Amino acid sequence: MQDVTLAIAGSGGDGVITAGDFIVQAAARKGLHAFMLKSYGPQIRGGESSARIRISDRPIYSQGDYVDFLVVFSWKDFNRFLDEIQLRKGAVVLYDEADSTPREEFPIDADLDIEYIPVPFKKMAAEEIKVPLTKNMVTLGVIAELLHLPLEAIKDAVMKKFGKRKPEAAQVNFQAIDLGKAWVNENLPQGTQVVLEAEGSGEPKLVMTGDDAVAYGAIHAGVKVFSGYPITPASPILEFLSKWLPHFGGAVVQTEDEIAAITYAIGASWAGKQAMTASSGPGIALKQEAFGLAAMAEIPLVVVNVQRVGPSTGIPSKSEQADLFQAVGGTHGDVPRVVLAPSDVEDNFQVAVEAFYIAEKYQIPVMILTDQFLGERSETVEAEVLFARKRVISRQLAKPSDLKDYKRYKLTDTGVSPMAIPGMAGGQHVISGLEHHEDGRPTSSGTLHQTMSEKRARKLPLIAEESGFVRIYGDDDAELAILAWGSSKGAVREAIEQAQELGIKVKAIVPQLIYPVPEKAFDAALKGVKRAVVVELSFGAQFYRYLRAYYDGLPDETHSYARSGANPLLVSEVFETIKKHAAELGMLREA
Amino acid sequence: MEPVKLTAKDYKTSVPIVWCPGCGDFGVLNAMQQAAAELQLPPENLMVVSGIGCSSRIAGYINSFGFNSIHGRALPIAAGAKLARPDMTVWAAGGDGDGYSIGTNHFVHTIRRNPDITYIVMDNHIYGLTKGQVSPTTPHGDVTKSTPQGNPERPLNPLALALELGATFIAQGFSGNVKHLRDLIVQATRHKGFALVNVKSPCVTFRGRQEFNVIRERGEYLDEKHDPSDWNQAHEVTQWTDKVPLGVIYKIEGVPTLEGVAEEARQKALERRSFESTTELIEVFR
Repeated sequence: MQDVTLAIAGSGGDGVITAGDFIVQAAARKGLHAFMLKSYGPQIRGGESSARIRISDRPIYSQGDYVDFLVVFSWKDFNRFLDEIQLRKGAVVLYDEADSTPREEFPIDADLDIEYIPVPFKKMAAEEIKVPLTKNMVTLGVIAELLHLPLEAIKDAVMKKFGKRKPEAAQVNFQAIDLGKAWVNENLPQGTQVVLEAEGSGEPKLVMTGDDAVAYGAIHAGVKVFSGYPITPASPILEFLSKWLPHFGGAVVQTEDEIAAITYAIGASWAGKQAMTASSGPGIALKQEAFGLAAMAEIPLVVVNVQRVGPSTGIPSKSEQADLFQAVGGTHGDVPRVVLAPSDVEDNFQVAVEAFYIAEKYQIPVMILTDQFLGERSETVEAEVLFARKRVISRQLAKPSDLKDYKRYKLTDTGVSPMAIPGMAGGQHVISGLEHHEDGRPTSSGTLHQTMSEKRARKLPLIAEESGFVRIYGDDDAELAILAWGSSKGAVREAIEQAQELGIKVKAIVPQLIYPVPEKAFDAALKGVKRAVVVELSFGAQFYRYLRAYYDGLPDETHSYARSGANPLLVSEVFETIKKHAAELGMLREA
Repeated sequence: MEPVKLTAKDYKTSVPIVWCPGCGDFGVLNAMQQAAAELQLPPENLMVVSGIGCSSRIAGYINSFGFNSIHGRALPIAAGAKLARPDMTVWAAGGDGDGYSIGTNHFVHTIRRNPDITYIVMDNHIYGLTKGQVSPTTPHGDVTKSTPQGNPERPLNPLALALELGATFIAQGFSGNVKHLRDLIVQATRHKGFALVNVKSPCVTFRGRQEFNVIRERGEYLDEKHDPSDWNQAHEVTQWTDKVPLGVIYKIEGVPTLEGVAEEARQKALERRSFESTTELIEVFR
């Protein structure tokens, strides 16, 4: 096989995620493409957890619908992931022979012809290594040998984690890995049906999560103040910046609440420094009033929303695309704002840079709508691709000539007025959430409110025409198009490729800029399209309804494929959707 | 050439003042402008942040970088500004509803972080802008528009709360004594750390002109017998019920500030490892 999906299911103490991290890093070192999705139960420690890893020679965009290779430490834990782990026909399942629950109690469809291999993971770790905690390392040795992953690369990754601080721990782990490898050679001489034949480019890749990527992108764009409040699944952004931002002249505050988090950032940006805050749905809801303040006072601001399942507390550890309405319509009043959506880990980096570019250039709050599926997954990325898109990030500051009779909200053609920042003599003025005159003085005049609403709104068409915000995949001249956004892109892109192999002409249109609608780019992308299908993980079909309301250029035949989130979008469900519409359009010839 | 000496007039603006005639906040505004002149603060280096309420309009009335923000959020905006620009003088201002009700969480945690900012609270024991509802410092039993049977709740004691939370400078002034209040604001601004100046600033419209007389009668100026560095003495003063303490109640120096801690973190980070550019950080992902 050149494209393998493996999963490891166990409980918190089993070291499932650590083992998964090492496999991904080993693959990255070989130059392979890899992707890991972590999944947790609600418990903090000791609860069930699973790592799902896909490795391939070719670029991969999704988690893989079916698992080829499964490691089960506990059938009870595995049972909790039945929803998420669908086995491919003929899959190989390794399970701990010492598991107290017999596997027969959790029957897997007999038609799948699963090859079951009992392995003494626990016994080897406890009796031979004499460190029960090394069970995951023994497992790593077994997996590496069966998949033909380079042991050296795995050991490198282990060294990286333990080497400096705990060299003896690294040695014990090496023994455990070697033991796992030896066990395969002694007990499974014929090998198994799962062997990864992918060689990899040999050019090592980087491994990054989406949360780290958006945080790193912010540093790259020049963020100087970050303020955040812990929330799943956005906390890694706070943690990454706490660790690294001081190295780049910045400061991080973990605030008392979500409102303080956004208002610290507003204060810092008003004072002249690039600022950002991050949260997830519930926290974003709390920040909305202050988001409106940034829009009214025209303060550059970047707010990251790592979406999770809602409403309310929802499912904190799982993904959904149902914060679109709160992003484009949250908070009171006619709020000029920008909503950007990254669609993979690399995009999280680039969109962070774009967000600062727009926020600073147009003096407007920008919301980045990423999600748990992007934020918490690990993916291989390439540095050249990451830094490929360059933007000059700068704020239009007041010049000496502006500071004579300074007007903070001077009416201009672009709607952008030169901003005086503290320390600029003559630039003193008052700003507020109140409607105001050009010089910032409050007003309750309806005429001025109309004038100022127009001024602020003048920025939007300019932003909509900024280039590079709409991606197209597949056949340019296709009559069938899939419209998708954010993390849905991965499964859609793979489904498009499968459909093309079947001879279906189809394309996917994926905007990075959600609001304002990049109308011209959409018009161009939809030229010649007879039918569009909007695919998303929102029960209420928010993206479909949003496009219907905000964009006039949709084809007459625009359909919706929408379901609630939590379970990632599958390639197969998008593929079936494409097939169905292709058949209705008479594009699918009977075989 | 001698630099031109700044006077209180240099801190006035052309923004029309919306306060009622006789409002206590006029005295606070005068005291702040006089304090700025006393400190010779260049207006462009002064940031004044307020929330929402009658008193919060003050941000527009002082020649500075003013920010009349949203209800209850003056402190985090002010602290964020100070963190970004330690070279600026930052004042936060607002009312008792803004600071001690909707903004209480920020009051508590700003004190813990100790940013070098001054917080001037115009405490009038009523919601004035919304026309007369009970506030967190309205005395127990007082009739207001939202407590027609009398305030059923006991008032919050901001001085005692600040002291308990570890505030590094606590003072109380009276808008009827501008000179004294000016001196308090000067001291508060010079203090390195978070300085609370709670000001008894009567609302003549919803609590009547006699409020001025009440403070005059019950106000007690702290003299040299009071040692502001003594926590126990300060605590006793905050517990007075029949008298209103006026002056610096508590003050300690040497507590690290928010922006100072951030600067230290930057220095330590650079000692550990310095990067030529942000692209170099990519190494942590290899």
